[in-house]
Amino acid sequence: MTAYLNQVRIIVWRDLTVELRSRERIAAMGGFAVLVAVLIYYAIDLTIVRPRDVAAGLIWMTILFSGMLGFGRAFAMDLEQDQLQGILLSPISRGAFYLGKTIANFALLTAVEALVFTVFGGFFNLSYGGTAWLIVAVVVATAGVAGLGTLLGAIAVHTRPSDSILPLLAFPLLIPLVIHAVMATGRLMAGRPPAEVGGNLRMLAAFAILFLAAGTVLFRYVVEE
Amino acid sequence: MTLVDVPVAPAVPTVTPAPALDARELVKDFGPLRAVAGISFAMRPGELLAVFGPNGAGKTTLLRMLAGALKPTSGEVFLGSERLEPGAAEWRRSIGVLSHQTFLNPQLTAAENLRFYGQLFGLRDLATRIPERLERVGLLDRAEMRVRHLSRGMQQRLSLARTLLHDPQVILLDEPYAGLDPHAAALLNRALAALRDGERTILLITHNLAEGFDVADRLAIQVNGRFVFQGSRAGLEGGEFPRFYARVVEGASR
Repeated sequence: MTAYLNQVRIIVWRDLTVELRSRERIAAMGGFAVLVAVLIYYAIDLTIVRPRDVAAGLIWMTILFSGMLGFGRAFAMDLEQDQLQGILLSPISRGAFYLGKTIANFALLTAVEALVFTVFGGFFNLSYGGTAWLIVAVVVATAGVAGLGTLLGAIAVHTRPSDSILPLLAFPLLIPLVIHAVMATGRLMAGRPPAEVGGNLRMLAAFAILFLAAGTVLFRYVVEE
Repeated sequence: MTLVDVPVAPAVPTVTPAPALDARELVKDFGPLRAVAGISFAMRPGELLAVFGPNGAGKTTLLRMLAGALKPTSGEVFLGSERLEPGAAEWRRSIGVLSHQTFLNPQLTAAENLRFYGQLFGLRDLATRIPERLERVGLLDRAEMRVRHLSRGMQQRLSLARTLLHDPQVILLDEPYAGLDPHAAALLNRALAALRDGERTILLITHNLAEGFDVADRLAIQVNGRFVFQGSRAGLEGGEFPRFYARVVEGASR
């Protein structure tokens, strides 16, 4: 078990170190998120639409599209100098490899989410009431998105054109999770009591567990012949 | 030696006593395409077998099966007495692969790349092992340089250090000279020569006839997924080998 966790840790360390030095993915994801927020700000007539009513949907749409940019690149970087083959020729557990990539993707997406919530909050004057439960909902939903996105990113990287295949694979599967994420986020932002989103949180947790478990089991069949 | 004298692949491996690496009737199909069509050979410990062949002969496919990265359609590979189970972690610990692709991340330093692979292999003594390997390939003073700032030749020598990090019994070299200038190729050859300690078994796949001939104990020529020549280099002079190779490939391609 210690060896397994050590393998997970070294993949996380490597992916985040490379990202901190290149800033390739975070720049693309963050830049895209800010651009979408600006466009939405000018597209919505704030005298007609109350931002709070639509903010949760817009925030999660922005997060989802930003995530696709990052997940697509997560394995593309491993193709440079055939690093993916180098890793697969080592005795690393394929499950540990998957979890390491997922945790790194989760960390990147969480950083982008912090930016998205801040930018949308600033543009639309949103207040994030019930912050602790809101964080729980966002973290659990992000775990599910990262879990599935990492698995599908590994599939898409071997297809051409990979950048357009990934959303086609991911969006239909992510829609149920995102619906619950939007409902939980919207209600908590509106100051509703946490008990009102208990069902949404349970569904988010169920999807997150399902996607992570499926990824851990199926990943080896995706990356090996 | 005329074309009619060219020996064809023997049905029985030429080296039988206690082979370190033993491939038996390996076949690999990709759909309707037969990339490797029944290759058998055995290598004794410490031996270096150089495999030559034109593009598309199936050499890299052969190497990937030996490395455990591809599952053979049929046939078996033995490492000593252990039969290859594709995906087995123990097999991967016994094999080192050096390709023309370095497997190195350009954003990490030389030492960080080795630490990354060392930890994937579960090695514990990396604090001493990494400097020792870097010194062996002449890169100790570049340990803290990011790989993207190293020359192509240095990256390839660093890749050799990566290959040797876990002390593999069998080393598989796939076009290690690709993209190297003559000086860098000579430096790599010097590092490879130092591996000839009588214990490591090395399979070298290359288009570079001169470099490959010079370092090999035995030679094989692969055409259309088969070994059409396999034997000792005895009786062949290095200068003759390119003409011999051309005749064999031409004869087998007819």
